[in-house]
Amino acid sequence: MEEGFLREQRQMESDLNSDTSHKSSVDFLMNWFRKRSIFVLAYGTGCGAIEMPPTFTSRYDAERLGIRGAATPRQADVIIVSGYCSYKTLRRIIRTYEQMANPKYVLALGSCTINGGMYWDSYNTIKKLEDYIPVDMYVSGCMPRPESILEGFLALQKEIAEGKASSWQRYEENYAFYRKNQEKVLGKNVAPAYDADWYLYDGGLS
Amino acid sequence: MNTLIRNRFGTDEIEVKRNDLSKVTVTKYRLFELIHLLVEQYGYTTLNAITCTDWIEEGHFAMTYILTIKDRKHTFMVQTMIGREEAQIDSLTTLFKQAEIMERDLHEMYGIDFPGNGNLVELSLENWVHTPPLRREFDTLAFVNELHDFREGRDDNMDVKAEMKRLRALKKAAKEAAAKKEASPAEEKEAQQESDDGK
Repeated sequence: MEEGFLREQRQMESDLNSDTSHKSSVDFLMNWFRKRSIFVLAYGTGCGAIEMPPTFTSRYDAERLGIRGAATPRQADVIIVSGYCSYKTLRRIIRTYEQMANPKYVLALGSCTINGGMYWDSYNTIKKLEDYIPVDMYVSGCMPRPESILEGFLALQKEIAEGKASSWQRYEENYAFYRKNQEKVLGKNVAPAYDADWYLYDGGLS
Repeated sequence: MNTLIRNRFGTDEIEVKRNDLSKVTVTKYRLFELIHLLVEQYGYTTLNAITCTDWIEEGHFAMTYILTIKDRKHTFMVQTMIGREEAQIDSLTTLFKQAEIMERDLHEMYGIDFPGNGNLVELSLENWVHTPPLRREFDTLAFVNELHDFREGRDDNMDVKAEMKRLRALKKAAKEAAAKKEASPAEEKEAQQESDDGK
């Protein structure tokens, strides 16, 4: 089996010959553009953030897959929740996530985001990230190596190409569910409600 | 110096733990007098840490002030006991400015009050309303079970201990088999040698 660069190259090219007749060409193009320019928010939570610099710099060079950093949430497509996530961090993550523009995706690294990991009985960390914000792709490991992170990104790109990655729509549709879970651990004062009411009707644009 | 402290503060024997580490236990009311003495007269100018141990069975917190001398060759641990209920001890900020953040930490994690410290706001927790988390009566598991539901394991997950036992047994069997294999050619060799000698 091929390894390293060749394997990734093969994975990148794997969907070139896939059957796209069921999609309109506009959808196909839009998804293609989206998957080939993933801007990742420069934001690290927990220990997993240490694996991100090698992923994005020359050793593993994620930019050859169209993955690169973004400075602010408004410009970013993907937020990586890398590792354990305390309540205090969760508040910031929710706020950041809600500032990002659609379409937006969430990549969760490490066993801590999946089931709490080694902090499963800690008084100050969440156990399942998908209860609070929608997650597109989990990458397991403690910590996942840059290869695993790239693999996660490739899987995410595949989902984007197929139009399956739609977590932001899930968030909007099931907002009450997410908000309830957020309030359960953070108290009533989480963040401004996730809608445009305050902007459109509350003396903003009238 | 040790005799002086012993006579003046009426404490028990000063416990010499190592060449460079001593420990002394005093009452809450004479603690600051002793720390002053150590700082002013003997040059213990660095406050390394203020630690707290929760002795729930005895009903007290053991507060330990760890001081290091100027030339770094000796460390003094000054310990005092304070009651667990409405725990309170004066702030050390008048003597050491850096005690402020240590006391803030203890205030957050154990709920100890430090009169004289003007900055006892939350440090790493946020909007914490329960029992301070490092007190031993705080049941972490109950707290977690109340707020979170755990993800069920995979369908194909296995009992870790049983699996480890099984693997260990396999390894042992393989090792024995290998040892046997190794031994048997030797025996054959010996047997051959014997037969050669016989010839």
